[in-house]
Parts: sequence; C-alpha cells; structure tokens
Amino acid sequence: MLWRRLRKILKRTLFFPSQANRDLDDEIRFHLAEETRLQSERGLSDDEAVVAARRLFGNVAVAKEETRAVWVSTRLEQFLQDLRFGCRILTRSPGVSLTSTILIALVIGGNTTVFSIAHGVLAKPSPGVHAPRLATVSWVAENGDIQTHADFPVYSHFVDRSSVFQPIAAFDFARLTMTLDSGSYAVRAGIVTPNYFDTLGVRLVKGRSFLPEEAKPGPARLVAVIAHHVWQNNFGGVDDIVGKPITVNGQPATIVGVAEQNFRGAIFIELADLWIPLTGEGRDQLQVNRGAYLMMIGQRKDGVSLSQAQTQLATLWMQLQQARPELKQRYKVRLVPYSATAGGNSIVATRGNRMLAVFSVVTALTLVIVCANVTNLLIARAMVRQREMAVRQSLGASRGRIVRCLLAEGLVLSVVAWVAACLFAWWVSKAVVPFVVPETGVVPPDLAPDWTVVAYALGLALLCTLAVTAGPALRIRHQQLLPFLKVGEQGVVQGRSRLTHGLVVLQLAFSVLLLTSAGLALRSLSLQDSLDVGFETRNILLATVNTAAGATTPETNRRLLEGLQDQLARLPGVEQVSYRSGRRLASGSGFPVRREQSEESVLALDNTVAPGYFATFGVPFVAGRDFTRAGNSSSRSAIVTRQLADTLWPHESAIGKILLTGPADRLARSEIVGVVENAYFSGRGTEGPPRYVFFSNAERPAAPGETTFYIRHRGQLDAMAPVVARALRQADGRIPIASLRSIETEISSEVAPFWILTTLLTLFAAGSLIIAAIGQYAVVAFDGRRRTREFGLRIALGASSNQLVTSVMAESFRLTAIGIVAGFALSVAAGTVLARVLFGITPTDPPTYLGVFVLLATASLVACYLPARRAARTDPLVALRTE
Amino acid sequence: MAKTRQKPELLQGTLDLLILRTLQWGPQHGHGIGVALRASSDEVLNIDHGSLYPALHRLEREGWVDATWKTSDRNQRAKYYRLTAAGRRQLAVERSRWSRLSAAIARVLGPA
Repeated sequence: MLWRRLRKILKRTLFFPSQANRDLDDEIRFHLAEETRLQSERGLSDDEAVVAARRLFGNVAVAKEETRAVWVSTRLEQFLQDLRFGCRILTRSPGVSLTSTILIALVIGGNTTVFSIAHGVLAKPSPGVHAPRLATVSWVAENGDIQTHADFPVYSHFVDRSSVFQPIAAFDFARLTMTLDSGSYAVRAGIVTPNYFDTLGVRLVKGRSFLPEEAKPGPARLVAVIAHHVWQNNFGGVDDIVGKPITVNGQPATIVGVAEQNFRGAIFIELADLWIPLTGEGRDQLQVNRGAYLMMIGQRKDGVSLSQAQTQLATLWMQLQQARPELKQRYKVRLVPYSATAGGNSIVATRGNRMLAVFSVVTALTLVIVCANVTNLLIARAMVRQREMAVRQSLGASRGRIVRCLLAEGLVLSVVAWVAACLFAWWVSKAVVPFVVPETGVVPPDLAPDWTVVAYALGLALLCTLAVTAGPALRIRHQQLLPFLKVGEQGVVQGRSRLTHGLVVLQLAFSVLLLTSAGLALRSLSLQDSLDVGFETRNILLATVNTAAGATTPETNRRLLEGLQDQLARLPGVEQVSYRSGRRLASGSGFPVRREQSEESVLALDNTVAPGYFATFGVPFVAGRDFTRAGNSSSRSAIVTRQLADTLWPHESAIGKILLTGPADRLARSEIVGVVENAYFSGRGTEGPPRYVFFSNAERPAAPGETTFYIRHRGQLDAMAPVVARALRQADGRIPIASLRSIETEISSEVAPFWILTTLLTLFAAGSLIIAAIGQYAVVAFDGRRRTREFGLRIALGASSNQLVTSVMAESFRLTAIGIVAGFALSVAAGTVLARVLFGITPTDPPTYLGVFVLLATASLVACYLPARRAARTDPLVALRTE
Repeated sequence: MAKTRQKPELLQGTLDLLILRTLQWGPQHGHGIGVALRASSDEVLNIDHGSLYPALHRLEREGWVDATWKTSDRNQRAKYYRLTAAGRRQLAVERSRWSRLSAAIARVLGPA
C-alpha cells in the first residue's frame, strides 16, 4: 500500500506531472461546463451562465494551485518538485546554465584532482601492506626538526617493553649487489627484522618469512626473501624457488620466500628487490645489517587509540633517555599514522606538506573565484525572473519556498558539475602519474579517486551550491516583489548592486594573487635555470656502480676503483674521470668546521672525492693543488671553496692552514692543500654561498658499495654511454652498473617538484584570469542591458558614442583598479611566504608585478570595452520603447 | 503542508465530513457533490466550488475516497469519487467528533 502510494507520488511530482495537471484541468473544465448548463436551465443566457458558473466556482487558478499544493504536501514531494523546476529553469536559459556548470565542474574537478593526488601519494599505504592501525615512529626536536631513524638498542628497548604498540618491526634499506647465474645486478634491499612481513600484513606467495635464528648475530647462513618481479623476471617464476642459492655482496645466501606481487617495501621510495634479516651487527661483507639507522613501524593493538600508544611510548623513551643522555637532544617521540610517504628522506615526505599547503590555498582561491562568478551569473538570471517570482508569491508560495526552489536549482547545477568533476579528476589522475613518479619501472601509485575523494568532491559541490544560491536568495528575501507585477523589470531601477560589484572585485583580487604567485614561481625556475653553478654542465656522464661484490675492505675497494678509473680514462673520447661514493653529484649535508684557535664554526658541506674531481667538472683552482693518489701520510688533506677560505681566513692564503672538524672528543685535523673557485657542486642553488670542504678518497677510502664515476667526454652521450658500459662490464663481471645518465638529467631531476608546482600554479592562474575577465564582462554587459533606456536617452540628448564608451569603461574600470590594488596587497603577503619555499626571489619582484599588472589591466580593458561599445551603439528609438 | 491548513477555519475539517457524508449516497463527481451540498443544506452552505477540489484530492490522498475516470453522457471526461472502507470508518470518526464539538458549543452557549 505504501509502495503504491509512493509510486503514485513520484509519478505525479517527478515523472508525469503534466498528466496530473491535465487531469485536473479536465476535472475543473467539466465542473464549469456542468454548472454552466445548470445555470442555463435556470433561465440565464449563455454568457450570463458562464459568468455565474465562474463566480460560483471562485478563483480557478487559486483552486488549481491549492490542489497542486495538496499533491506536494510533504517536504519530500516539495523537494522533488523543486528539483523538477530546477531542471526546467536550467534548460530554459541554457547559456547561463551551461557556463555555470562548466565553471563549477572545472573548479571542483581541479580541486578534486589535486586532493586525489595528494591523498593517493600522502595517505595511502604501499601496495601489499594490508595490516590496519599501522603507525611509524619519529622524533621531534625542540626546533621542529624531525628525525625518523634510530639505532638498534632503541628498537630493542621499545620492542621489549611496549605492550599496546606491538608488534614493532624495524627496517633500513641499502643498495647491494645480487649475483645470479645470469650476472650481477645492482639491487635495492630492505634490511628488516623477522616480524617485518607479519607486522605489515604482507603475504608471501612462496616460502616463509625469516626465523628468529636467522636474525641472530653470528656465523649463521644468510637468507633472503625476494620480490615478486625478481622471481618472475630473473628466475622465470619457477615453482622450486625456495632454497635456490644467490650471492649477496659476494656472500652466499639462500632464498627462503617470495613476497606478494607489487610489494616493494613499506615506504614509497624504497622499491626493494629483496629483503635480508637485520642482525644488529655487521656480518661478513654485509656491513649493512648493522642496524645503526633504522626506521620503526608497528601496529596499535585493537582498541588502543593513537594517543594512548604514543603516551606509553613516550614513557619508555624517557626511561631510555635517562640511561643514554646523548638521546636527550631528540626531545619528543611521536607516533604518526602510516602512509606510503611517511618518513624517509623523499622530497614528498619532507616537503610534501608544504607543497600541499600551497596547493590547498591555490585551489581554494580558484573555488572562491568561480563561485563568485557563478553567483553573479545566477543573480543576473534571478533578476530576470523577478516577475516569475512575484507571480509565484501571489499564488501562495512563501519566501521560504522560493528560496528552497532556488536551492534546488543550485543543487541540480552542482550535482551535474560534481559528476563531471569526478570524471575529470579520474582522467587527470591517470594522465598525471608519469609526472609525479620520479623513476620508471616503479609500480605507479594508485592516484585514481577513491570514495574519500568522491565524498570530498561532493562536499565541495554542496558548498558551491550554498555559495551560489546565497546571492540570489538574499536578494529575493529583501525585495518587494509586487512592484514587478505592475511594471516591467526595467521600470524599477535597481541601485548599483554592491554584492555583484563586490564579487567582481573579489575575483580580480584573487586572480592577481594567483598570477603573481605563478609569476614568482616562474621567475624562481628561470633563475634556477640560468644559475651559474660554477662547473661544466655538459658532456659529463655519470655511471653509478656497486662494488660490494668485487671488494671486501675499503682498501681493496680503493684499488678496485682506481683500476676502473684508469681503464675508463683510456677509453677514446674520454678527457677526465673521477669518482665519489654515493649516487649524486655532491652531498648536501652541512656540518660545522672551524679554524685552529677559534671557537666559532661555520657550516660547510662535506664530500669525499677522488683525485681529478675538480678537473672533471672544470672548476679551476684558485690556489694550491689537487689531491694525489699517494695521499698525505702525515695528516689529512682538505680542499675548500674560495667562499669557505675567505670566511675562515680572510686576507690570507688558506694553504697550509689547519681545519678542525668533529666534536670535541673526536677532533679531526686536516691540512688545506688547495682552494677551488666557488661552485654549487650539488647542481642546485642554495640559499647561502657555497661552502664546501672536500677530503681525499685516497686517504679516507670508502667501504665497498655504491660509487659514481664522473666521466668528462667529447662527442655525443649516445655514443659514449655504451662504450663506458661495455668497459665496466668487461673490467669486472662482479660489478653491476646501477645507472648511466647525463649530468643534465641529474641536475634537472633536482628541480622536478618545483617544475610541477610551477606548472600547476600557472595553469590555475591562467584559468582564474580568464574566468575573472569573463565574469567582469558578464556583469558589465548585464548592467549595460539594464540601462538601455538610460543610454538611449543620453544618445538622444546628444552624447557621442565615444563619451558613452568612456563613461561606461571608467565606471567598470574603477572595479578593476580596486581589485588590482587589493590583489597586490595580498600578493605581497603571499610573496613573503613563497620566498621561503622558492629559490632566489624577493616578495616584491618588480618584473613580476609589472607583468601581472599589464596582463590583468589588458584583460579587464577588453572585458569592459566590448559591452561598452555595444552600449554606445544603442539605437535610442529602440531603447526608449523597450520595457 | 498545504496552504489551506494555515487558514484558521473550522470549515476545512467540516468540509471533509460533509463530502464524505455526501458520498455515502453513492459515487459522484465534484460538481455533483457541490450541487448536493447546496441542495441538502437548503442553500445555507454556500461553499466556493473551487475549494471542493483541494479537499477532494486530499481525501483521495489519505485513502478515504477512491477516484475513477468515466465519460459522462455528454461525452466529457469526469472524475467520479467513491467512498472506501477506510473512508466509511473515517466518516464515523468525524461524525462523532462533530457531535461532541457541537454538544460542547451548545453547553458553552447555555440555554438560549
């Protein structure tokens, strides 16, 4: 029974209201016909009978309206009716509706995309991690610095005593050499505690995880768990994979398990190919599983909140700090809900939050701009419909009902836009993955919108609805609608609409803000590009190899590397070769150095390089000489940049001076043997001047592991790279090549995140400019249309078209002026914030502000000129007759 | 809620009662009901015919009357209303409510 009634209701209000209306018309028509007949039979003439019948009936329209009101007497029915009205209104003025929908769809789509990407990158767990309630451990120092690693004793302390935060796993990662029958490979490995896979909820498709015995220090056999793709690609996916032998860094190991597909480690950037157990001390060649630098991740017990677990951990931490005072500077311990980008040193982890903040502000601004724009459009349309509203009111609709009607229209608009926006976000998130993920061969993060994102988009859509409906609704509430029944719309002269003009100014101001921000970002990028790093940035090939399988001690490693260096130097086309341990051009961590007999220290960036480094990069010596292979037997040699030399020993030669480094109890003394010209050795501009100190690899050889050769060559990179690769492979088959790339690639990868930020900022800014300009055009055009009579009058009275154009433009340009001034004020504030994120810019960078001013003024001029010209061409006769 | 309910009139509830009572005599269309009401009250109850229709549709909505479309002898479409079982029960309820109300009013007014 209820279902039947519901169906009837829906049919009447939503699907076939016209049928119900026709029935009602028939019913009443029949009634009037019958009454007319009755009256005729009583003796009245035909016309009198009709009049009498009508009089007896009463007001037909009101009766019909009241009957219809009975049909929709519940809120639900009224709401459905409003929705239907909304759709009809939208189709009646398709221009406004389409524009509004597209605008809202674009802005919600843009917002949603950014949110989706951020959510995908920052909040989701890595593929393969299924355990709930995971959290990572980190420490916050007093000055806000975050530390995510600790040593093995700290881990043991937590594991042994924590009750509500269990199990806890610890891991580190390293780059190793894995040798199979097919050759040696440079691999990334996770060094993990035996409970790692269980804690994360990772399934092993073959075999098992590590046993506790395998993680104990001592002469036990080395075991390994390999990643799924290694099993498929290198072992052909054979069934008897468990028990197969491999060699890791020259040491024999056995495969005991295979991880599930797509699992490459807990942290986004790890990309592990295999995992070996963490022992807490070095084992043979595997110096890496010493456990000095561990990340910790654990599971909260069911029913325990994050703060409860954190409190317990804090207590344990304080106990530990009592026993080990050197840990006091770490200050507080913190539990952070796990996500794939938590912790680690990835750019996303350290700078992701700040970038996200910038994005959020940008997208919020565009949202405001578009809402303001659409509000103006809808206000304009509402003014056109004032007559309709007045009629509705006279037929019995309350103001509340009318407002609800407007709300329903706005809702239909927003829902359509929401659907469009979700599709847009889905498409963009697929397309943008190649830009966000720094390396190829990685399982791309799933950035497609999930339900969180869709809900976020819906929230935005509803917000938009409220925002754009508020404007017209406010106008309706404060208006006497009855005058509109008497006179045409033009007759009632509205005063200058403050709301509308205020919204235009708002849009312009925010557009200015976005444009200046984009401009500053572009300036920063171009400054980066044109930065003179001080060394040769072409024709240098970087070849990264892993020597762990070919050498066991630092000394043998040095001999191996020197041999390779000589071999590479003999290749045709090679001019200079040098090397450094690690992957990058130069390391960027600063530590304090000072001169003898001085307590003041300055921060310098420290690197250990082989002889020939400066010649390879084309950095000239200002004084002294390069390192030699023989090295200095009596003391350590050091080479500093001119900036450092001038800071520590102004007005005198630094050659022969002693440099002190390290803490008081482990002081190291080095003798300056050379001073080089200033250069930004890391390839990127830094805020301060380049203060580098270099030590010699010959005197301080590095342990076997990743090393990068820098090869200066003549000719094309494409010709050089295979030659170098072949030479390295032939030299020693145990040494895999991890990567070969040009120096340009290396440098540009440093600025990739900024490039993304700048591109997005520019896109949003350009979009805002167009939208704001169109918005201003629409407002001026609409104002002009309303004032047609006034213009006609002025022309008839003798005003020239030029005068009219100037007058209209002057009025509208006033808005632009206010907008620009307000926008610049906001920009200065924003610029100060941006200057901290971007490189090399001042908040009030004159070229940027000038450019923005010109751009916006031009756009605004065009936007005002077109409708002004149309106004000036008004035919006075037509205008004065128009209602 | 329908606008008519906001009018502080007794007539609305009473109108329902009158319509239900009229339909007790058999199915009828709107005009017929109006004529019957005028006739049986000796022209005292001069209701706007227009206000019958909101009431009729509300009664239909509540399920107290059923409606069918028939073609009249003059080949016109007319909607005929018929009392339902629930309508009969509601009529009894309204009747007793009306009796109580008029008795109460009579008591208040006292002997003339």
